[in-house]
Amino acid sequence: MTISIEYLAQVFNSTIRCMTPILLVTLCASVCSKVKVFNIALEGTLLTSAFFAYLTQYFTHNIVLSVAVAMLIAMLMTFIMSFFIVQLKGQPMIVGMALNTFALGFTTFLLSMIFGTKGTISDPSVKGLPKINLPVIRDIPVVSTMFSTLTIIDYAAFALAVVLFIIMYKTVVGFRLRAIGINESAASSLGINVKRYQIIATTLSGSMIGLAGCLLSLGSVTLFIQNISSARGYVALAANNLANAHPLGALLSSALFGFTKALAQVLQNTAIKQQLLECIPYIATIAAMAIYNGIAKRRAKAIKN
Amino acid sequence: MNENRNWKKSLGAIADAFAQPLVAVVISLFLGAVVIVICGENVFTAYGAMIRGAFGNSFYINDTLKRATPIIMGGLAVCIAWRSGYEAMGGEGQMILGAFCAALVAYYLPLPGILRILLAMLVAVVVGALYSALTGWLYEKFDVTFIISTLMLNYIANYFASYMTNFVVKDPESLDINAVQTGKIAAEARIPAIFSGSVHWGFVYALIAVVLVYFLFKKTSFGYKSRMNGLNSRFALYGGINARRMLYVVLILSGAMAGLGGAFEALGSKYRYIDQMIFTTGFAWSGMVAALLANFNPIGTAVASILLAGLSTGGSAMQRSTIIPVEVCNMIEGIITLLMSVRLLRIAQKNHRVRKTAKEG
Repeated sequence: MTISIEYLAQVFNSTIRCMTPILLVTLCASVCSKVKVFNIALEGTLLTSAFFAYLTQYFTHNIVLSVAVAMLIAMLMTFIMSFFIVQLKGQPMIVGMALNTFALGFTTFLLSMIFGTKGTISDPSVKGLPKINLPVIRDIPVVSTMFSTLTIIDYAAFALAVVLFIIMYKTVVGFRLRAIGINESAASSLGINVKRYQIIATTLSGSMIGLAGCLLSLGSVTLFIQNISSARGYVALAANNLANAHPLGALLSSALFGFTKALAQVLQNTAIKQQLLECIPYIATIAAMAIYNGIAKRRAKAIKN
Repeated sequence: MNENRNWKKSLGAIADAFAQPLVAVVISLFLGAVVIVICGENVFTAYGAMIRGAFGNSFYINDTLKRATPIIMGGLAVCIAWRSGYEAMGGEGQMILGAFCAALVAYYLPLPGILRILLAMLVAVVVGALYSALTGWLYEKFDVTFIISTLMLNYIANYFASYMTNFVVKDPESLDINAVQTGKIAAEARIPAIFSGSVHWGFVYALIAVVLVYFLFKKTSFGYKSRMNGLNSRFALYGGINARRMLYVVLILSGAMAGLGGAFEALGSKYRYIDQMIFTTGFAWSGMVAALLANFNPIGTAVASILLAGLSTGGSAMQRSTIIPVEVCNMIEGIITLLMSVRLLRIAQKNHRVRKTAKEG
């Protein structure tokens, strides 16, 4: 196997495509953790919105509508999650796991009722998100490979990270949201309606999971497989932890996980067996968290002494 | 007067303990019924098929109990860990490795049958415990939260076992080249049925484990300490509890239970490790739901496990006789869990009280 520049460009390209869904979910996770709502329903939300994106596209062939439906579904799921946690004081872990269990059952149920299969559904007549060929870039040999077959949502993901950073750190609303996370009662004594802010912020951020869902089922491949999210929601949780809930940090951490996923894809044609390659992102997640948190812990100890 | 109030209070507590799961189950069955109607089936036919398929005759009952066995063990694993304040969800990975290793030991070791069974179960216990302790080590040394480490390790365990069954220890005698499984365990190295055609002894062992865990919780100082740790870890630390030892003991116990549950499934039910056999059946997750339903009471967990096992064997029966797919049961399970996550009745009572005082005031 020779490693050419063209080859590296391909790795770069698949890193981007693997990273953007995780980035979008990580951004939602960062908003949730900024306002102290522990969201592990990310996984189920991602799965459900990926399914509804495909379903809507299958029946209407209207890509804008499909994206909108996926975003709405994701917002609805996130709203239920935060309503149960914030308003009804449910235990966050249990609420999240319940929604994830429900989502897996629900999507498989609909898959089987509507398409008559419990495995994969792919129909050539279903068109995915349009691929964008940037005018100047498409003529440059290597760079065109790097940015080929990306959709508008892939680009939007990066833009959203910056937008979210500006909202969170440069606006009054962002200041209030961060205040809630830092000290709930202090925020409420300033006249901030904590619960309302928490629910609205998490629900709105859920729409980003909807975009990620579109990327899974209508992005680089146009199909839906049972449990297509395959723990990306949990990986995003780890990515958010690495990024310290900072939107720009999320860019770095999700790039790391995107790269490990791309690596698993790249090595597919080598002697290493598929099942072992599949482990790479999960092992990398634990390793990255261990290294990062381990260093942070040691530093905290050093400061104390 | 005071006594009367105490009596009322304890009665209320019992009613609360039973009413909450009951309300959750009723609401979710109602929502399930709505789904069934939308699918164009008769609710009574569908639920009738479900109940018959779960508890209708001795064959189905045994099937349900067989399925309940690993769920109970997974539930106990969750009880032990969560009650002590460690929200670990690694039961699935531990169960996979337990089942896989037990199947290998029972298949390959040239020992007399009974020794092979015992050794297989012991290996499953050790492997489950070690895999669980690994998450404790990651938590203690590197601050990796349980939720991340356990979920990731579940996937890793599943892929590892899948790799091994595909390429290293694939059944040499299999006629079907597509069957990804280990060799079939010889009859003398299986956990036998209690009597002909019934559930295997693993179910009884699981019930014994339930009783042991119950006594561990209620009658030993460890049970008290671990509870204290779960309720308020700072207080527990102040009370002189060795937090580090508590972490490892709890996780090892919890992992041992899950690993053993996997061994029961491999040695008593499937007689081999089949690729994905723990992952797709969701034993560990059902165990977790059971433990939540029972509020981490071991005996309640066992009861809830049998009901959840019935929900899924019944669901398969419903799938056979109607057009409703078995996944409806996962949806019902999810809704039950969601409703159990909040103290529904207490909230209803509180709202009632608030309204009442508002009216009077």
